[in-house]
Amino acid sequence: MSRFACVLVEHFDAAAIERCEPALRERPLAILNPRVDRPNVGREGGPTARIMTTIEANTAAREHGVRPGMTETEARARCPMLLTRPWVEEYVASARHALLEAALAVSPRIEDGGAGLAYVDTIGLERLIGDPAAIGRRLVHQVRAIGLIPRVGLAASRTAARMAAVNGSGAVTIIPPGRERATLAKVSIATLDLAPELIATLGRWGVRTLGELAALPREGLAARLGPPGLRAHDLALGLDRDPFRPWTPPPFWEEAQGLEWEIDSLGVLAGVLETVLERLCRRLAAVSLVADSLEIRLGLASGGHHARAVSLAYPMSEVKPMLTLAVLDLEAHPPPAAVTRVTISAHPIRTQAGQGGLWQPPAPAPRDLVTVLARLAALVGADNLGSPVLVDSHRSDAFTMLAFSPPSDAAASLDHRASAGGIISSHSPRAEGPEPPAGPGRRLALRRMRPARRVEVETVGERPVRVEARLVVASAGPWRASGEWWDREAWARDEWDVVLGDGALCRLARDRLVGHWYLDGFYD
Amino acid sequence: MGDRLAPVRGEITEIVGGLSSGRTSHLLACLGEVVGRGETAALVDTEEIFDPGSAAEAGIDLRRLLWVRCGSNREVALRAADMLVRCPGFALVALDLGERVPRLPTTMAFRLKFAVRRTDVALLIVGRRRLTGSSAALAVETFREGIEWAGPGPTPTRLARVRTTTRVLRARRGASGRPPSSWWSA
Repeated sequence: MSRFACVLVEHFDAAAIERCEPALRERPLAILNPRVDRPNVGREGGPTARIMTTIEANTAAREHGVRPGMTETEARARCPMLLTRPWVEEYVASARHALLEAALAVSPRIEDGGAGLAYVDTIGLERLIGDPAAIGRRLVHQVRAIGLIPRVGLAASRTAARMAAVNGSGAVTIIPPGRERATLAKVSIATLDLAPELIATLGRWGVRTLGELAALPREGLAARLGPPGLRAHDLALGLDRDPFRPWTPPPFWEEAQGLEWEIDSLGVLAGVLETVLERLCRRLAAVSLVADSLEIRLGLASGGHHARAVSLAYPMSEVKPMLTLAVLDLEAHPPPAAVTRVTISAHPIRTQAGQGGLWQPPAPAPRDLVTVLARLAALVGADNLGSPVLVDSHRSDAFTMLAFSPPSDAAASLDHRASAGGIISSHSPRAEGPEPPAGPGRRLALRRMRPARRVEVETVGERPVRVEARLVVASAGPWRASGEWWDREAWARDEWDVVLGDGALCRLARDRLVGHWYLDGFYD
Repeated sequence: MGDRLAPVRGEITEIVGGLSSGRTSHLLACLGEVVGRGETAALVDTEEIFDPGSAAEAGIDLRRLLWVRCGSNREVALRAADMLVRCPGFALVALDLGERVPRLPTTMAFRLKFAVRRTDVALLIVGRRRLTGSSAALAVETFREGIEWAGPGPTPTRLARVRTTTRVLRARRGASGRPPSSWWSA
């Protein structure tokens, strides 16, 4: 059984750009970085020259002879249709994290081998996935899902697995146990990460392949080359002497996009946000994670940054609701200057899927609900939206608002209903009969006036007889209430239910502390 | 509300009436029925008149009720209702327009009608007068028939209950017959 798998993405800097712009994948692409040449070193203030140099080229460009280290002019001379992109650190960092996370979806023990390289401990995976070929195919599938094209090698050691990935002809290459030395014998020593001086020395000795290096006497190598020589010998034998350093994912996952132009319109910015979120969501989906919050950082043309934290109403990995929430948040809090860079971080969590009850009534899908709530919050304000909760107080109209989050089980509502004594049957004879007993479920509603309107009331004794020149034809009261007399918020009032001459049935309240009359609302 | 006058999913129902005619009590009863079945409802409250205390006394599970307060802005209220009826999963979206019901373009009324049909949401509109015209499947008007007072002596000390009745103004699916009366306890 193979002990390790090596996931390798060739020409990684170019692959990271292709991941952000998939259309570049089939075309010759070179990644450029400015190199500063100082022809007049030693003279202060001497002129410097910025030469764009190729630091990476994809396979299509290499077929035309483009190699890292060439100047842009030289590369274009070899490949006239060459496309170039500047090197962006965020792209490479995001792709590197994405590669590691994709490997993590297959095995809990992985090691970061550098940009474009991940080692996977495959012990125990045969029970979950199958033979080494199946494990290799799973790794390829996971890495392709995040937009990178990998090659996978499986062998008993990390070094052998990497050699298999580098030199293999297919997407998955497997070195059977015990065949490492024979398989690696013809591989060039240039594929090992050895110091150039060491490779030059071995070259002078006529050692060109790993097999020739492995055949050298170990004691002699130690005497002539020291520890680097012994390490090279171990690598040639396919042995790992370095400890396995497991990689753990950071608490936030990040994707970024550098812009070649400044964006000052939210509509255009939304397109960029969607692109970045798509990459982020693909990464989350590849490892069966969801995000419960987003952090958006916008680099501004003014040199500053605009950061927004968007908390998602429910953990999600869908682009559309995330984009809606992000755009609505940026509409409410727009960046103060044009945007030149977009970075989005997601805080990932793992959720377990649940199944609703068979008789559970349908409810708004969380994705739809969070979207409509965000739109409504933008329309009426977040404070004017939610579920009312009564406050434990005798004060009239004492309530607070909570974020709308209906309970997921229908039984909870039915229990609530039963405890309130408010079961209403649509077949109840109460609805038809002229003299039904008015149960708690058929309560007279009060249309509240907010705030309660102060009115002028004429009284006879304490009973109201005229409300702002409107005759009171019937009244009942007072209903006396008071509270918080132990505090500075003390209140005391007499409530009256009155019928006015125009037929309106309303509730009046007299503030006993100041003597004012208020119209609380109308019964309706 | 009896079955005959209850809002139907996928259709628009209107309750109109004057102040103290019982329309808001009918609205609460509809919300209570829906929420009592474990379903989710929304109330677009144009004039912010909703009284959570009355609703709780009517047995409404307020956790399942989304309350949208519109600050007396009728245009905002209509837009909020339009958004909500496009969200599948709400069993009932109630729009309380209060005393000043705006003129609604016919195109907007049809838009609401097709939206509720597509998402299978019941849209209940409450106001002084009708809003959606022929787009409503059912329209009823409420009237107050009587008031009962209570108290230990000859002078009443509290409002006991109110009796209301309804008249069908428009019914696409025959809702004829004796108009039902309802008692509402204070």
